[in-house]
Amino acid sequence: MKHPQAMLLTVRVEPVETHPSRSDGVRRTSTSSVRTAWCLRALLKAFTVFLLSGALAYAADEPGKSSRVPRPVIEAAKGGQCVEPAADMRRNHMAYLKHQRDDTMHGGIRGAKYSLKACIECHASPATNSVTAAPTNFCISCHSYAAVKVDCFECHATQPGKATSSFHPLVHPTGATAALSRQLRQLATQPATKP
Amino acid sequence: MKPETSTPCSCGSGGACQEETQKARRGFLGVAAAGLAGVMLAPGVRLIEVAQAAPNPAAPPAGATAGASPKVRWGMLVDTSKCTPGCNACVTACQTENGLPTKPGPTDAQWIRKVDIKEIRTGKAHSLPVMCQHCAEPPCVDVCPTGASFKRADGIVLVDKHICIGCRYCVMACPYKARSFVHEPQTKQKPDVPRGMGTVEGCTLCVHKVDKGESPACVTACAAAGYGAIAFGDLNDPNSEISKRVAQYSTRQLREDLRLDPGVRYQGL
Repeated sequence: MKHPQAMLLTVRVEPVETHPSRSDGVRRTSTSSVRTAWCLRALLKAFTVFLLSGALAYAADEPGKSSRVPRPVIEAAKGGQCVEPAADMRRNHMAYLKHQRDDTMHGGIRGAKYSLKACIECHASPATNSVTAAPTNFCISCHSYAAVKVDCFECHATQPGKATSSFHPLVHPTGATAALSRQLRQLATQPATKP
Repeated sequence: MKPETSTPCSCGSGGACQEETQKARRGFLGVAAAGLAGVMLAPGVRLIEVAQAAPNPAAPPAGATAGASPKVRWGMLVDTSKCTPGCNACVTACQTENGLPTKPGPTDAQWIRKVDIKEIRTGKAHSLPVMCQHCAEPPCVDVCPTGASFKRADGIVLVDKHICIGCRYCVMACPYKARSFVHEPQTKQKPDVPRGMGTVEGCTLCVHKVDKGESPACVTACAAAGYGAIAFGDLNDPNSEISKRVAQYSTRQLREDLRLDPGVRYQGL
């Protein structure tokens, strides 16, 4: 309710109201009861406008738009129903993944509910086909916002299907260096061609 | 009873009191042994039962596969008479399937390699693929300080890269040179084959394919190349093709003297 925009709207609306007794021109001498009623109506209208403007100002505060606090910007992916409710996944996804990874790795149990591969298949960005390639991609947007290093993608592919993965610099600062050193090494190991 | 009776007793009544003592001791020991064998942790639960139940994993969750069975022993049989020098189909297939570099540099990982050998006296040459031999008694598992190197219930030897610290002890321990260390950050992993810097890796027997009921990539590629030199199957199942061939022909394991009982066998070597 302290929003400057709301105050401005309230002030602007009030002078527009005209005195009802002035428009008809019949009774110039208004009684105190009529004056009180008019005042109350004007106040009510002003209050309604005030509330509406407040709601508008609140709507403008939605994540990632005009708030002073930055929020993670997560672009929409495939969508649909996740394996658990979103709130549960936000808090517990790491535990679900960790428990199942041991079953899969050591026990050979595959196709259970919580699989990183399935996460990526659903949450990969339509633009980059990845969960980490751009700052707005699913995994990296929240993890960079929360400043939690995500180790999964040092080994695991970040793209679904047969596509190859790539590191976002936020995930792995040496990704580009590695590609460069690989190229250099290939050049070095190639037999020298004599002119 | 002879030694006891031969020694004189201090009570002066001959061997009679000693006989009584022996009986009492025997009785006590008998009761103690029975008591120990039947120690119960809770009504109906004995320590021995807990120990036997522990290795069995819990029931798989809904929609998931049953997992690796201890009744299965996956193995391979390489027929070196069919394996051709110069053919690299199994190596290429392995690289493609597992996202390994197709032109490996000196520090890149190597899961399978072709080895050409020749007996000097006779000149008889062999060409054979060598990969992780998936030993029944794997030395890499024995030496691993973190438990990252492990053998699955169905005999496949793997590295759990979540707990591998990259000490490379297993690389030293393996007599087949089957393990490699990943020196550099990896960027082209396959969804089914996670690989990362600072960990050790080796042939997984294409575990992601085997769990789906398929054959490893090298086996499929060898058959597709028209050689069919590698057979894959369950060594514990007497009706499987590999078991029949192993029973029929003389096959060898590499470094049999180490008695590691590898799951990969070679015919005609």
